[in-house]
Amino acid sequence: MNPASAPAFAPASTSPGWRRALQSPWPLLALISLLILAAFVLWPLLTLFRQSAVDPQSGELGWHGFRTFIEDARYTTAFANSLLLGVVTTIGSLLLGAPLAYVVARYDFRGKSLVALLPLATIVLPDFLVAQAWLMLLGNNGVLRLALEDLGIDLPSFYGWFGMIFTLVFNLYAYAYLGMFAALKAIDGAIEEAAVNLGASSLRRALTVTFPVLLPALLVNAMIVFTLAVDNFSIPMILGGKVEVLSSLIYITFLSEMGGNPVMQSVLAVVSVLLVALVLLVQKSVVERKTYQMHQGRPPPAARARGWAARSLTAAALLLMALSMLPAAVMVVGAFTKARGPVLRYGQWTLENMERALGTAPAPIVNSLLLATAATLAGTLFATIASYLIVKKRSALVSLLDYVAMLPLAVSGTVLGIALIHSYNTGPVVLTGTWIIMAAALFVRKVPFSIRSASASLYNIPDSMEEAAINLGASPLESFRTVVLPVMKPAIWAAAILMWVTSLAEISATIVLYYGGMETMPIEMFNQIDAGYLARASAYGVVLMAAIIVPLFIATRVFRLELFSSN
Amino acid sequence: MARITLENISKRYGDTAVIDSLSLTIEHGEFFTLLGPSGCGKTTLLRTIAGFIVPDGGRLLLDDEDITRLPAHKRGTGMVFQDYALFPDKSVFDNVAYGLRVRKLAAREIQARVGQMLERMGLEGLATRQPAELSGGQRQRVALARALVIEPRVLLMDEPLSNLDAKLRIQMRDVIRQLQRELRITAVFVTHDQEEALSMSDRIALLRQGRIDQLDTPAALYTRPATAYAADFIGAANLIRVLARPGALGQARLELPGAVIAAPQAIERGGDALLAVRPETIEIDAASDAADATGAVPAQVVLRRYVGYKVSYALALVDGTTVHADIPAAADREWEEGARVVLHLGASCRLVSTEP
Repeated sequence: MNPASAPAFAPASTSPGWRRALQSPWPLLALISLLILAAFVLWPLLTLFRQSAVDPQSGELGWHGFRTFIEDARYTTAFANSLLLGVVTTIGSLLLGAPLAYVVARYDFRGKSLVALLPLATIVLPDFLVAQAWLMLLGNNGVLRLALEDLGIDLPSFYGWFGMIFTLVFNLYAYAYLGMFAALKAIDGAIEEAAVNLGASSLRRALTVTFPVLLPALLVNAMIVFTLAVDNFSIPMILGGKVEVLSSLIYITFLSEMGGNPVMQSVLAVVSVLLVALVLLVQKSVVERKTYQMHQGRPPPAARARGWAARSLTAAALLLMALSMLPAAVMVVGAFTKARGPVLRYGQWTLENMERALGTAPAPIVNSLLLATAATLAGTLFATIASYLIVKKRSALVSLLDYVAMLPLAVSGTVLGIALIHSYNTGPVVLTGTWIIMAAALFVRKVPFSIRSASASLYNIPDSMEEAAINLGASPLESFRTVVLPVMKPAIWAAAILMWVTSLAEISATIVLYYGGMETMPIEMFNQIDAGYLARASAYGVVLMAAIIVPLFIATRVFRLELFSSN
Repeated sequence: MARITLENISKRYGDTAVIDSLSLTIEHGEFFTLLGPSGCGKTTLLRTIAGFIVPDGGRLLLDDEDITRLPAHKRGTGMVFQDYALFPDKSVFDNVAYGLRVRKLAAREIQARVGQMLERMGLEGLATRQPAELSGGQRQRVALARALVIEPRVLLMDEPLSNLDAKLRIQMRDVIRQLQRELRITAVFVTHDQEEALSMSDRIALLRQGRIDQLDTPAALYTRPATAYAADFIGAANLIRVLARPGALGQARLELPGAVIAAPQAIERGGDALLAVRPETIEIDAASDAADATGAVPAQVVLRRYVGYKVSYALALVDGTTVHADIPAAADREWEEGARVVLHLGASCRLVSTEP
């Protein structure tokens, strides 16, 4: 090594700054992504917090809004009702979902494959649709109610606790099922064999080995279901009756404070955010401290059920699936049934409801499709870039991006809608009263799922693949385009379809943000249900289901996409 | 063909210096190996040459061009990764053609060059296959083909053989070495397998915690290890504590447990030292046979292991130190466990330094 032969200095890089930025644009993209989220998530939330505690006239910090919250029985009752609803729904969902998961994970029986349709059914049937369907069955004029009354069984009113708990449990048990099923599949079967080898009976083994290992997952899923129940808007609004919960009260307060000081709605919104944040915090510490990682080993194989057990399992599975699919059937029947106002004349078929929805008043359909398309295009592009940044280009800025992108998951749609509507009401940028703010709400609410889906595929792309491309001469941007994107393609498509489908069904944010003429299908359905026109609502419901099912079908059957592979 | 020069290259992660002011030169057309256990910095060094890591200090020169901060995709170094990193969505042909397409070569030329390379690597007929359909050995050859077809100035290989089964690994050593000679390309090879390093390299840099412990040809490294670390890492070695008595060659002596033997080299300073003795250089004799006591170290047989082509003995010196001796099967005298014997250590043992 001869220092004397050291050469004259060759400049390290001769390209100008902008060209370098083009070759590796990631820091800039991270900044832009963060700014977009700051505009549509952080700023609105800050506005919300400000409105709850700052007097608009004097600009001073005042807690009278929160004091009113504590002192007014209406508010405290609603809060207590929310907690009660959350707890009861959680228990019900777990009682339904966890045993189902256990039985499907551990036993083979006829009809087992039907249960795999559960997550699909949950996505295809938005919660307000399910609420409406059960209303048509068990409401005051409900078909099933009348039939049961003929048999001498008098059910309590569906409006109120009965309807809310019943419908919420049927909506949310799928989440409990999916979570517990995944946990059961992650157990190393060897630990159970060890217990048996040491002399434990089947029951003892289940109680002392299987259950404790599953407990963290059980707690985590319980908390997820709890937050979903507390944040749910449609079901308490449609079926709540005289029972007020936090989520319905926020919306009602929003309507009543329209044009005035939005103090109480903001206070209620902040309370609901804090509640969910608390639960998520507890959940995070449970997950980090107690979840058992069993990397090696396989789950115990499924045992073939025989005789009595097999038959009852098949029956139970069929019953649950039938009940979960029932709303779809009810919706279809209702759409084609002749109706006089709130009274449906079952048995008399007609096309007039569908004609009205598709021909005379198709605006909600068009609005839904346009908004969903806009949100999906923006969301998929954003998710592709954001997931790449989060998985492959981690930095302090990107970690912040990751956190802010996931924030909307902790905030209910109604709260987000209220936050957005007040942030962009006045000032330099007025988006309230435009379709843009509605599309932005859809984008912000659904993009976390798209990011998760796209990220999952990126974890399967080792760094060495991109390095190989770069080593062969491709610039970082070129390597992303020619090597990473092609492998991400299926996941990006899955993310896009999920985004489209869930945007179509969104109601809690859009119902706050819409204005005359911009009703979406869910909003229109909600209005029709409110007015009692269940048949008209059903017609839109059928169109909504079709708009959801067709892309899902094409994706899963024709393109064989894995839509539920990520957690 | 290029010569690579590293001048005082340093890289730290947090408080740890992964590479510590390291300098070396790799000559034109040399097959140069970076050898060491995991964590010694060999892969970091390779990735610095490739451009995925920018060093905190020092310079990297390719021929005489300073490429320390040159972006990785402009360096013209071809790299073969440990997991091959084949593009899963592209066929074998498209994988190998990737670098040529990036360089915007004409389609006909790409066709010709890829075809030739596939043939040379024994991959003809597999051009349309996907990586998932290939065996481990085939994937490895595709990775090699992809890196070589762009005619790089340097070939970098990051433990390319460690995911192959034993037999294939040995075969591929020859394939790679022959290819490198034919193409007369400078190659930098990273491995933790000392046998691989010895059998393939022109020179080996033995690394330890970010520094070069010894840089030598395979033969020199094996027969004249400078440190206990080198003696122990390359091949097997017994490391025996001795007391050195200074003197010129022929006069210097070493005190071992139970014996005094002639030192294999001149000794300047006396004192405690370590003697490295390769198991295959030890001879075992019966205790009573040795007429001349000088050079014979008394020991007792603890364990005898038959390995087919050799017999491995574990023996204890008078102070309990364990020594391993390998006797070729033909020369074995079937010593029983517990038998008292003497050991002749031969002239190939070496004193090594014991610095940490």
